[in-house]
Amino acid sequence: MKKKVVSVLLVAAMGAFTLAGCGGTAAAGGAADAGATAATEAAAPAADANAGGEEEAAPTADVASEGEHELSVYAWDANFNIPALEAAAEAYKAVDPDFTLNIVTQSGSSDVEQAVTLAASAGDYSTLPDIVLFQDHYIQKFVADYPDAWQDLEGANINWDDFGAEKLSYSTIGGKHYGAPVDNGTAVFAYRTDILEECGYTIDDVTGITWERWLEIAKDVKDKTGMALLSMDHSGDDLPYMFMQAEGKSQWKDNTTPDLVGNETFKKIIEVIVQGAQDGTIILANSWSDYTDQTIVGDQVAGVMNGNWIIPTIEQVDANSGKWALTTLPTLDGGKEGYAANGGSSLYITANCTKPDLAKDFLAYTFGGGEGSMETYDNALKNGGVITTCISAGKSGVYQEGVDYFGGQAIYADIVANGANVPVVQQSDFHYNMRTLVGNAITNIINGANIDDEIASAQEQLEFEIAGSQN
Amino acid sequence: MGGTQLKKSGMSVGAKQKAAGWGFLIVASAMIVVFSFWPMVSALITSFKTGSAANMKWADPVVFNYTRMFKDKVFMTSVGNTFLYLIIQVPIMLIVAILLAQLLNNKDLKLRGFFRTCIFLPCAVSLVSYSLIFRSLFATQGLINTILMNLHLINENINWLGQTGTARFVIILALVWRWTGYNMVFYLAGLQNIEYSVYEAAKIDGANGWKTFWHVTVPLLRPVIIMTFIMSINGTLQLFDESVNLTSGGPAGTTMTMSHYIYNNAFGTGVANFGYASAMSFFVFIIVAILAVINLKVGDTRD
Repeated sequence: MKKKVVSVLLVAAMGAFTLAGCGGTAAAGGAADAGATAATEAAAPAADANAGGEEEAAPTADVASEGEHELSVYAWDANFNIPALEAAAEAYKAVDPDFTLNIVTQSGSSDVEQAVTLAASAGDYSTLPDIVLFQDHYIQKFVADYPDAWQDLEGANINWDDFGAEKLSYSTIGGKHYGAPVDNGTAVFAYRTDILEECGYTIDDVTGITWERWLEIAKDVKDKTGMALLSMDHSGDDLPYMFMQAEGKSQWKDNTTPDLVGNETFKKIIEVIVQGAQDGTIILANSWSDYTDQTIVGDQVAGVMNGNWIIPTIEQVDANSGKWALTTLPTLDGGKEGYAANGGSSLYITANCTKPDLAKDFLAYTFGGGEGSMETYDNALKNGGVITTCISAGKSGVYQEGVDYFGGQAIYADIVANGANVPVVQQSDFHYNMRTLVGNAITNIINGANIDDEIASAQEQLEFEIAGSQN
Repeated sequence: MGGTQLKKSGMSVGAKQKAAGWGFLIVASAMIVVFSFWPMVSALITSFKTGSAANMKWADPVVFNYTRMFKDKVFMTSVGNTFLYLIIQVPIMLIVAILLAQLLNNKDLKLRGFFRTCIFLPCAVSLVSYSLIFRSLFATQGLINTILMNLHLINENINWLGQTGTARFVIILALVWRWTGYNMVFYLAGLQNIEYSVYEAAKIDGANGWKTFWHVTVPLLRPVIIMTFIMSINGTLQLFDESVNLTSGGPAGTTMTMSHYIYNNAFGTGVANFGYASAMSFFVFIIVAILAVINLKVGDTRD
């Protein structure tokens, strides 16, 4: 009998062992006894919780074997931020001819963010490169959760006043600067001027207006041409955040206190989005690929608003060259232009970097507004379309050139200028929780739920989630 | 294994064989303990802790994560969603699978092998790819809407993945497509183990097709049916890829599964709440264990 128990256990364990690796879908256990099933079940979620990112072997950096003039960095976009890093490495050769930058390509920004989470969870930073590039919304939470994982940029020769204050507000924690800004997340509102003209409007008619007026124009455009005037990926809906920022307001009272209930500005913003969705003038797409491929590239919209990194997506349609123009966001009260930002990333030095002086000097000289910054940012713009938040670098000749796709408008200079006007608003570690819950609330309101109830329940769930991770 | 060795060690042949058997088992068992059981124990310990990954501390009270999940509306919604898939999808899939198996077990059917392959083929498709294919099929400007429009069955494109009801329907449809053939193969194997003489006897006794199926085939297939049931319940409760890739849990979290929410808490939204995620994993584990035990008891015909 004892033997039987042992063998059942072993069979169960075998089942669990073979299946734990498959990520846990309908299990091909074979051994049809409860032991196997139970063990399988326990193993799979455990694997889910502890081992994410193991499935694909992402390229890693080997900091220990690096030379004295060598730095490694994680980045992810061969058409965007990697050309920017290559430009910086080239520029820094003027200071240190032996300098090499080992750029380790990841498949997406989430790979970098997960690499940080994994290294920090394991308490072993040796898997990280010297420098990592990731999205700005993560850094506050990362520094709070893993204070030992970072080396700040204090002492680097960077003139911080030369950067957009909004950009720096993410990476400045406890008065210390942690990140060297790379790209600019300033929001643009691009309109198809030919469609607007067809309906009797110009780009000036949609600049500095109220959202109420915008909804009227959008309805008119929809009736006359069948095109919507705005779209967004509703599975990660950034509209509420950007609309609020254009008002100079936040969805947060402080880092951990959401400000939704009783926030009149927020309620009005949600009403605008819901109204637009119901009129068919704002398309809330179900996924990122629907948003880019179908609504923007698929010519369903006559207006696009997002961080300026959306411009390459707009430019994918050759047939529409010369028909687009950029302007700013509407606001609730009108009479002024709305400035917002979304996305953008910065470079951070990890605890694993043994040459912090070299890393700091490199970042200061190139991305930090030093002597090499003009060359870095000019080439980053030319090769990758990366737009700087460095005000002095934005004054270079390359930035003043008109872009044919946008009817000769000097869009880069405009974006840098707008970037300086983006208001600093309260940020939070729980940005993405907020985004998900507000997005859910919008869906429910569109489907007929009461707006006040939905805002209240979003706030309640958010407070619940924040309390849970702070216990 | 020669006699000389036997004399040296002084073990009988039986003892020798047993020792060799254990020798082989120990290597594999040790690996299982290290790679499978230890992470499970570790996850259990984690589930009693809170805080971010780098500085976790014991929860106060210790069962905080376990009591918390019952107050978490999003998690409760995801439990409801998962059970909805379970209750609707598993019976449909298993009934279709058993009927298909019955059809394809017919000796006189031509191109049997071809049909079997076709129905089994979806199982060879990766979960992520088929989810993405279903997503694009059911996109607002997707193939399904285009076909329905051209057939004049609908007047405007249906936002399949943007409404709760249709989004759940698409997930269930996708699951049935993906897993029916897989279960059919088990039934086919079971059917082939049933002696033809049993059917002959039934025929002689005057049983018609339905009676034969219900009173001969189903009872003889019972062990296989129970096995597919347990496996399907197990698989559905762990549903992840479809929820993440097909609908992203939307609209408004109404198609999100338990595993998806667990993932979101650990990695998805940058919260890194590993303690809570582990606790929810054990909740899933307990549910599966309970369901499997019930299933075995119900299916056990021994007195």
